[in-house]
Amino acid sequence: MNDLLVMAQIAGRRCALHAHDVKSVIELGAITPVPRSPSFIAGITALRSQALTVIDCRLALGFSDVKWATDHRAAVVAVGGHSYALMVDAIEDIAIGRSSPESVPGGFGPEWTRLATGMIETAIGPALMIDLEALIAGPEAGTHSAGGLQSASA
Amino acid sequence: MDDLLADFVAETREMLEASEGEIIAWEANPADGSRIDAIFRFVHTVKGNCGFFDFPRLASLSHAAEDALADVRAGRREPDAALVSAALAVIDRIVELVDAIETDGTCPEGDDADLIAALGEGAPVPDLTIEDDVPKGLEESETAQRPGHTSAAPAPANPTAQRTIRLPVDLLDRVMSGVSDMVLARNDLAHRLRQAGNQPTIDGPFERLTSILSDVRDAITRMRMQRIETLFGALPRLVRDLSAELGKQVLIDLEGGDVELDREMIEMIRDPVTHIIRNAIDHGVETPHERLAKGKRETAFLSIAARQSGNTISIVVSDDGRGIEEERIAAKAISTGLITPAERAEMDREKILQLIFEPGFSTAETVSNVSGRGVGLDVVRENLEKVGGSIKVSSTTGVGTLFTLQIPLTLSIIAGLTVEVGPQRFAIPQSYVEEIIHASAKSLDYTQIGETALVTFRGQRVPCLVLADVLDLPPDAGDGADRSMVMLRLASGDLFALAVDAIHSHGDIVVKPLAPAVMKSRLYAGSTLLDDGQPVLLLDVTNIASIYNLMSDARTRVLADALEEDTRRADIVQRAMLFTDFEDRRRAVRLELVQRIETTPADAIDRSSTSPRAVIDGVILPLIGLPDGPLPADKIRLLRLSDGATELLLAVREIDDAVALSDDLKPVTDDPLIEAVTLVGGSTVSLIDGHQVFSRYAETPNQVARPKCRLPKGEWADTILSPLVASAGYDVVPHNEADSEAALSIWFEDEYESASALDLPIAEPLIRLRDHPDGARGSESIYRYDREGLLEALRQARAGTIANAAKATRSGPDAEGEAA
Repeated sequence: MNDLLVMAQIAGRRCALHAHDVKSVIELGAITPVPRSPSFIAGITALRSQALTVIDCRLALGFSDVKWATDHRAAVVAVGGHSYALMVDAIEDIAIGRSSPESVPGGFGPEWTRLATGMIETAIGPALMIDLEALIAGPEAGTHSAGGLQSASA
Repeated sequence: MDDLLADFVAETREMLEASEGEIIAWEANPADGSRIDAIFRFVHTVKGNCGFFDFPRLASLSHAAEDALADVRAGRREPDAALVSAALAVIDRIVELVDAIETDGTCPEGDDADLIAALGEGAPVPDLTIEDDVPKGLEESETAQRPGHTSAAPAPANPTAQRTIRLPVDLLDRVMSGVSDMVLARNDLAHRLRQAGNQPTIDGPFERLTSILSDVRDAITRMRMQRIETLFGALPRLVRDLSAELGKQVLIDLEGGDVELDREMIEMIRDPVTHIIRNAIDHGVETPHERLAKGKRETAFLSIAARQSGNTISIVVSDDGRGIEEERIAAKAISTGLITPAERAEMDREKILQLIFEPGFSTAETVSNVSGRGVGLDVVRENLEKVGGSIKVSSTTGVGTLFTLQIPLTLSIIAGLTVEVGPQRFAIPQSYVEEIIHASAKSLDYTQIGETALVTFRGQRVPCLVLADVLDLPPDAGDGADRSMVMLRLASGDLFALAVDAIHSHGDIVVKPLAPAVMKSRLYAGSTLLDDGQPVLLLDVTNIASIYNLMSDARTRVLADALEEDTRRADIVQRAMLFTDFEDRRRAVRLELVQRIETTPADAIDRSSTSPRAVIDGVILPLIGLPDGPLPADKIRLLRLSDGATELLLAVREIDDAVALSDDLKPVTDDPLIEAVTLVGGSTVSLIDGHQVFSRYAETPNQVARPKCRLPKGEWADTILSPLVASAGYDVVPHNEADSEAALSIWFEDEYESASALDLPIAEPLIRLRDHPDGARGSESIYRYDREGLLEALRQARAGTIANAAKATRSGPDAEGEAA
């Protein structure tokens, strides 16, 4: 409650990220593709002297093609000691959450249920609260867990 | 001060700082047993460290505290206020002593019996003033020890020693990433300056900025990286002291000291490695007596090896001691309640051995001064896991124990090679690169056998991976032709070729970790930024090879090594000097023939006769390889060739390089002076036939022991005959010189006749010359202008068959015409 949220459009839906998870919003420069990596990994890009992994959030949700516009800006988040740049349709605004994430009867649909912690009310309307760890684990991680991260740190 | 000592002081302080909170918490609530662990580890480490510095006072203090605390941990004793005070007093005393050690390098004398007694069970609560007494007592003893030392500020112990400071690592990280950003900003600025054109007022300072920045970057890089040697350096002494203390004989072998890793990482593994070594010597290695009884060598062997493989460093500590007994571990684990008997039945040996890393586990039957408190291996594992590492143990009972530590290279600088495939670049760790070959597929004999591609490298067929296929990138236009090959040698010794489109640069690269999702592909070991700030991926060579099953098992590896040894030997023979001749043809001459490279002015070359000569070092040598026309330059490069006895010069336009003739030699028959053609760097080269060249152009060497030939008297003999005789390989002796050593004499026929008429001694062997072409029948003389006959006679005389020669010459028709 009363958390600062970064509002973004992902796959045509309004989503929210915790502002304290978002380290910065950057202009996406050149992206170096990573051959043979899952498709939701758009590549790596440089942020000053750091290498960021660029995640296409639409593909990470499990959608197979991107039919939405892509913002030239990306939100930089850190999960498990690694930094990621999130490619989204658009980064909208900063808003204050007015409720805790709540589930709705019937769920949000298979893609969304996997990585949404729930619906959150904000000043600019309801949004889906995104679980970053699940988002970064990608569509193959399956269930709502941090399994992908555990195996990676081993 | 000794570096080791400085480390000891700093480490003790650091640990104390870290456990300060625990100490205070424990003081507030003595019954809280969980607080003891940190304090226990502190005194344990102090005890272990001062064990090899010979600070008996520190050792006895820490040992006493450790004993008391161990009792508490084991539940044999209830912690109370008295114990807390006593333990804290000991810690304070340790701090005082450490301070004293830091200032003058030795531990002050003194008595700690009061503090040790206070630790005993049932001791009265120590006098609260005791903490005030400690510094006083210390001061007294200090002053007593150093009478000359008064109020004057202590002079630096060793002014020449390098001064060091300890810095928080994240500060170092900030500086480092700041410098990296500065380099990127500089590159950007450089780009803009180039666009703006030449600006002398800006370019000068900018150049200065660039060089300063690169200096700073080097320094920062070195700040973070350290050879593992700095860790290894202290180990021999540790091993020596420990084994002496325990009455064991241990030989230490260190390997891989040049592996570089993050300074912080070295600090992180310092304790674990030390602990494992202690453990190995204390528990693993038997006494010399036991060893002899088991039929082992008296001296145990402890080996510590560091290896960098991909993005991890593995450190292997192995001993040839008694090994770990599975049953004892299991029994102990069951008795301490770590596992149940039912669980035991399910576990295999491997799993049971790993139990030694569980907290509170110790198998030592007697508590020694060195290790065996159960603190140690659990802490080792904890510390390693904290930095993302791991530890494993394997052991064969009676044969030895092997600990394998894996440490990630979260940040490390390695030499890397940048290669290009399609539009993208990738980096390869230089340590894997055996050789780079820019060559067409043809020259490497690129063939496809089934789905596998092979190339021939130094006579060996090696598998070839096309990087574009490995990475599933769109294939290049060609089918492997005109690709560059990077020959990679794996740590296992296996060799394979990686075909790439182009090879760029090499240099030091900073490896940064990749996100787990990217690492899952197993193809990459990390990423790095190029100078222009563009990120590139670092290929994980070992994993790529294992994905394609390119790693052989140990047995075939041995065979491959032997094979390679053979080809290496062959290589030594097959080296050649590559040059361009005056007709712009690429030629090569075997390196063994080339004695020296000479440069001579054109006027030292004599081209008046059909066979040109040049004067080198005052010696006239035959010269070949000159162009037909005028000399193209004032100075000519010459290869001075030698077959061991004679020399000749080969003129060349340009000398390229010494190369290995790794490719097949194809014999050539149409040009007698060319032995074969071969491929060097992808284009053909003709190899000069040394035998032909020397047989055609070399001159008989000036032998030291030339046979002597006495000539007849007269001007004709001196001026006309003597050069011919000399050219046939004789030293000419004038007729009037009495030298009976002459191997051959030449007389005129009339001289011979008068001598035989007068019964004078006739020289033997002898060539007789006559004035007229048609000699008398039966005469053994030779017409004096019969050049052929004369040379033949001279040649045969050298072979000692003068008589036959004379007969042969006489019987044949005289060929005066040819004599001209």
